[in-house]
Amino acid sequence: MASVADGNSMHRVLDVDGKVVGNFPKFASDPDELLRLYRILVLTRTFDTKAIALQRTGQLGTYASSLGQEAVSVGAAAAMQPDDVFLPSFREHGGQLWRGATLNELFLYWGGDERGNDFAGPRGDFPNCATVGSHPPHAVGVALAFRLRGEQRASVCIFGDGATSKGDFAEALNMAGVWQVPAVFVINSNGWAISVPRARQSAAATLAQKAVAAGIPGEQVDGNDVIAVRSVTERALTRARQGHGPSLIEAVTYRLCDHTTSDDASRYRDDAEVSRHWPAEPLVRLRNFLVSARHWDKDKEEALLHECNGAVEQAAKEYLATPPQPIAANFDYTYAATPAELAEQREAAIAIAHGAA
Amino acid sequence: MKIFVLPDLGEGLADAEIVSWHVSEGDHVVIDQPLLAVETEKAVVEIPSPQAGHIGKLLTKAGERVKVGAPLLEFDEGTHAESGAVVGQLAEPSAATRRTLMVPSPSASTPPSIIRTSPAVRARARELGVDLSRVMASGPDNTITLADLQAAVFQSGAAQASQTLRGARRTMATNMARAWREVVHATVQDYADIEAWAQDENVTSRLVRGLITGCQTEPALNASFDLSSLSLRENPTINLGLAIDSPEGLFVPVLRDVARGTPLDWRRQIDEFKRGIQDRSLAPADLRGATISLSNFGSIAGRYASLIVMPPQVAILGVGRIVAHAVRASDGIALHRTLPLSLSFDHRAVTGGMAARFLRAVIADLETAV
Amino acid sequence: MSELSLVQAVNAALKRAMSEDASVLVLGEDVGINGGVFRATDGLFNIFGEQRVLDTPLAEASIAGVSIGLATQGFRPVAEIQFTGFAYVCIDQILNHASRLRARTRGRLSCPMVLRSPAGGGIKAVEHHSESPEAMFVHIPGIKVVMPSSPARAYGLLLSAIRDPDPVVFLEPTRLYRAAREDVSDDGAGMPLGQCVTLRPGRDVTIVSWGAMIREALEAAEQLAADNIEAEIIDVATLKPLDSATILNSVGRTGRLIVVHEAPMSCGFGAEIAARVAGHAITSLLAPIERVTGYDTMMPYPRTEAHYMPSVAAILAGVQRTMAYT
Repeated sequence: MASVADGNSMHRVLDVDGKVVGNFPKFASDPDELLRLYRILVLTRTFDTKAIALQRTGQLGTYASSLGQEAVSVGAAAAMQPDDVFLPSFREHGGQLWRGATLNELFLYWGGDERGNDFAGPRGDFPNCATVGSHPPHAVGVALAFRLRGEQRASVCIFGDGATSKGDFAEALNMAGVWQVPAVFVINSNGWAISVPRARQSAAATLAQKAVAAGIPGEQVDGNDVIAVRSVTERALTRARQGHGPSLIEAVTYRLCDHTTSDDASRYRDDAEVSRHWPAEPLVRLRNFLVSARHWDKDKEEALLHECNGAVEQAAKEYLATPPQPIAANFDYTYAATPAELAEQREAAIAIAHGAA
Repeated sequence: MKIFVLPDLGEGLADAEIVSWHVSEGDHVVIDQPLLAVETEKAVVEIPSPQAGHIGKLLTKAGERVKVGAPLLEFDEGTHAESGAVVGQLAEPSAATRRTLMVPSPSASTPPSIIRTSPAVRARARELGVDLSRVMASGPDNTITLADLQAAVFQSGAAQASQTLRGARRTMATNMARAWREVVHATVQDYADIEAWAQDENVTSRLVRGLITGCQTEPALNASFDLSSLSLRENPTINLGLAIDSPEGLFVPVLRDVARGTPLDWRRQIDEFKRGIQDRSLAPADLRGATISLSNFGSIAGRYASLIVMPPQVAILGVGRIVAHAVRASDGIALHRTLPLSLSFDHRAVTGGMAARFLRAVIADLETAV
Repeated sequence: MSELSLVQAVNAALKRAMSEDASVLVLGEDVGINGGVFRATDGLFNIFGEQRVLDTPLAEASIAGVSIGLATQGFRPVAEIQFTGFAYVCIDQILNHASRLRARTRGRLSCPMVLRSPAGGGIKAVEHHSESPEAMFVHIPGIKVVMPSSPARAYGLLLSAIRDPDPVVFLEPTRLYRAAREDVSDDGAGMPLGQCVTLRPGRDVTIVSWGAMIREALEAAEQLAADNIEAEIIDVATLKPLDSATILNSVGRTGRLIVVHEAPMSCGFGAEIAARVAGHAITSLLAPIERVTGYDTMMPYPRTEAHYMPSVAAILAGVQRTMAYT
């Protein structure tokens, strides 16, 4: 299979203006599927805006925005089956929402509450991985389990361009290739690792070609084209389920936001550069296509915005009304059965907490 | 603050409804970044940012209708405090925390002497009531070991607790120590030939009478000495401190103005004192104000003694056991009953001559038959 | 019953666990056809095949990371790290992920894996192959740390470790791998984790140790007995969670504590034991707590190694120091 090192061009279905330029995948012929995608993109961005606002008012912890990169995780997640396993980094809110994580769970997580990871919906998905690039091996292990049991399931692991410099990433790709496990690795290649630009992260012409070293297929896709991202991921997952092993997908996008709410990108990044990337952002592109294909209009847009705002506001209210768990919870979930020495500490912690109350 | 107003949306539209804000206060935005979505008659349009900068304040809410030219938001022109952190909230130092607290390290002076032992030995010593400062250490680094403790307990006999002195015994300890520190003791001793006494003569009464005679002859022995003013005050009355030994310790109740009383008075008062000592009803006032003291230790044993003068008194007469003494008689040597007398005095206030004259007067009185 | 060395006991336990539970997997470098460089997995590949005994590429961090992924999907991976000198890179995966997956998902995901590795020196090995990292692992909340000191205990403890629902780091004393053989009953009985083992009762002094140093401790006890000093020897066996009660009870009777470990002194696990005894049995102590340990240096190259390893003489000297406080 031809890989990116052969000089394959980047996969793309819609251009920046929303015009069809590539092969239209099967699912895209169904307007309802496209509308599903669009709705989740808008919901993600609405959630994102609210999360930033909450952080700015001290009601949410440090938050990593996905502004401009929503199509990467939404497109990848949309290609998955429910019993696949999703392993995000920390910028895949859209993918998590597609997979059935709730707005409330996302607010809880970013608000600093472990219950946000106890997904009611996607029970097998991994929580976020904040130690950059350390979760690709987990994806290999999960996929290996599927292969050993002969199951038609796969793992999808997403991380940023910075993570591809990590040893764990290289080890994971290598192992995945040796064992031909059903794992799909997706790079949210947004051009920045905090303040380190892509050109200083790796001398490789593309990150997708790191697949060559692992002996697995690698390809680039326009990360702002949700149809293309889903299409490419679907093909990779099909290969995986048919026993043809893992794939690496570099979804090229742009980080229109700061690294997190604690970052001020204007310190190291030119505003003009950011401005130049706004026209290519994923929501407008799909909307333009939908409008031109007469699947969408102003009333529907307004209704969707109202609906998303309403849902996000409601979830934010619920989150803000949720009291934190008592400290005992931290002890109760450290082991399956709490050992005596830890039980003593648990009692001491409870006593101090009550004394302070 | 730079205000951004709703721009002319074209096509003759005068106002629009805010559908959704895409940014929040505090956000950094760049040129062309969509700030909000507004609904016009024709479409929902995004309004892009006219400049790069920080959003200061949103002036309109979603759902509001605003006219073209009406303020939408304020750009923050000020400098922004950067958090300088990737995650979390780093506290800035407050004025209070800026003061550094320097704790001076302990000087290398010699520490007070400490008892070195293990916690187990310490606990055991407490149980046994043993004062570890009295136990010989033989362990490494001068440590008292369990064996050392056990040896100390063995040596002291039964595992008896050492007593802390209380009451009269405590008082005696402190008073005697003070007296020894302050008084310059000297003693003159002699005996009185009491052969002439009746067999049932009351020794205490005769001694009190003798003392009175002595004080009347040499009032200086009944004086009070004050070191700080270097003054000697002769007391108008003789208040006689009478040393009485008891199981509870030494008591010295005071017979006030003995010169005024009769031997019967003295005897009655002494009996009262003895009862008071026994049933612990003796009042502190009874023990104060002696001007001279008498100790008849001879009622138990002993001949001559150097007793302790209790300031501000300057004298104490000690009386030993009646003893048969060989004396010169008209026809050779005879054995007479004699009463040994020891007069201890404070040589800061009393001269040897005074003391001797006092004693001569006491002896003279004692040697009379009645 | 058969006479097994410690490494043979490990092998027997692995075989037993894999026979009883199809979810138990073995993975690591050279564990397949080669049977492991110390033959700990000898024969398993032939019996269970390549679907259950996996040779991995040379990537220790990912051996741990892949084990985590497998464990979340209902497998019980037993990962071998060839030497604890190579296990340090695994600490990131163990500490940042395996140890806290249960807590951070509120029990939704968990990680029943075992990371086993030969540890300790005294084998005249090339550098980096004589490490004693147990204290580093014990300091990680959410995992268990086990170090057997005999073939029978290695068998029982490993079975329990494999059956445990939480991550277990299982350190095998390399020096004991083939040192002695004893009867090991291959009955599938697990030895409970979280319990110290009193190997020898004594009245005068408590000697606490684990792993290979138990040999020296028992030897010291023999020599002390000739001088009428009775040493109580306690094998910690499970360092985390620690059975403090057994140690405290012993010191309560003897009043003297010696902790022996190969690892360097500073912040070694002996410090934790000393702190617990000082915290809960101070009034029982007749003498200061003694730690007989390796030095705060690297393990010297083989020619000088013997001078680094805590010896019977060093243990005896420690005991004598405490007995001087009699």
